[in-house]
Amino acid sequence: MTPTRKITLAVFAWIAIITAAHLSTNVEWDVLLNDRLPESERKLNVAYIPVT
Amino acid sequence: MTDYISSYSKSGHLFIPRMFQGFPEIKEALISNQMQAGFMVAPMAIALRAQGVPVKIVYLGHRYGSAVAVRKDGPVKTFADLRGRTVAIPSRFSDERLIIFRALAANGMSAKDIRMVEMAPPDVAGALAAGAIDAFSMGEPYPSQAEMAGFGRILFHAREYWPDFISCVLVVREDVIEKKPEAVQVLVDGIARSGLWLENPPKRRARREHAADFVGRFYFRQDPRLLKWALLKPEDRVQYQPLTPLRKDFELIVKLMRETGVLDRDIAFEEYIDPRFAEGAKTQTEWVYEPGDVVAH
Repeated sequence: MTPTRKITLAVFAWIAIITAAHLSTNVEWDVLLNDRLPESERKLNVAYIPVT
Repeated sequence: MTDYISSYSKSGHLFIPRMFQGFPEIKEALISNQMQAGFMVAPMAIALRAQGVPVKIVYLGHRYGSAVAVRKDGPVKTFADLRGRTVAIPSRFSDERLIIFRALAANGMSAKDIRMVEMAPPDVAGALAAGAIDAFSMGEPYPSQAEMAGFGRILFHAREYWPDFISCVLVVREDVIEKKPEAVQVLVDGIARSGLWLENPPKRRARREHAADFVGRFYFRQDPRLLKWALLKPEDRVQYQPLTPLRKDFELIVKLMRETGVLDRDIAFEEYIDPRFAEGAKTQTEWVYEPGDVVAH
């Protein structure tokens, strides 16, 4: 494998890792999936603030 | 808490909790239907309804759990020492503001004697530590935060001037109440069961410690030690029973709102409260769940 190819693969691997980390940390999947359900099956979104 | 325990139950998560950093944002999210339900301070819910926003209060979030905190080594030793000083409140439409008015009246003072500023709850402890404010009137765990960090002390708990104090209430959009009453009932039942679970006398301490741990880590993103302080020093600092909205409590809030200029008309209890869900939750029993269990029901 040439150095150029190695660097290219490493860059793509790094981007893939960062993207996966972002998607798992910052995307609220339960909210996204819930919003795509038919209205009758959708769970309620309940807002709260960090106060008792 | 309800979300965490219900996730171990056969039915799974009952709803989707979304954290906000301030009540005004929750208000906007409810109006735009981004949120179908939310916890907010009672006067804000009443004011929204009075302004024609189609929401109703269906249950309480808790009782008590608000306090006025001052600097531990500061000049404010009594409420009267607040004369001429700055006090932070979460909103003009909050019980934490109304409690200041009750304390002012009890001490022969008026609103002109202090300066009230609105501040997002997460900012108040830092503002007190920095000397930007002289006191704050806020729900837990922010009074506990000032105490635990060593720079603050409690001037008074809300119940000292308001024996049946309530603050956060559960508000639901009216269209959701009409179209999905069973979903609202499931939500209210879950909260009622959580309240009973937290208030079971022989297990109260252990359960509050456990709740502080998972709520702090997974929901509030706060140090669990802070929530332990708020829930255990003393154990009745915040109470989770009874949570049924009572007419006398809300009529007092409306009266105080009218007197303090944040509500421009009288509003009937029935106009902003839907009592059927609290009524339906009265037969509920506490969650069958203990710390460490992998199944709840």
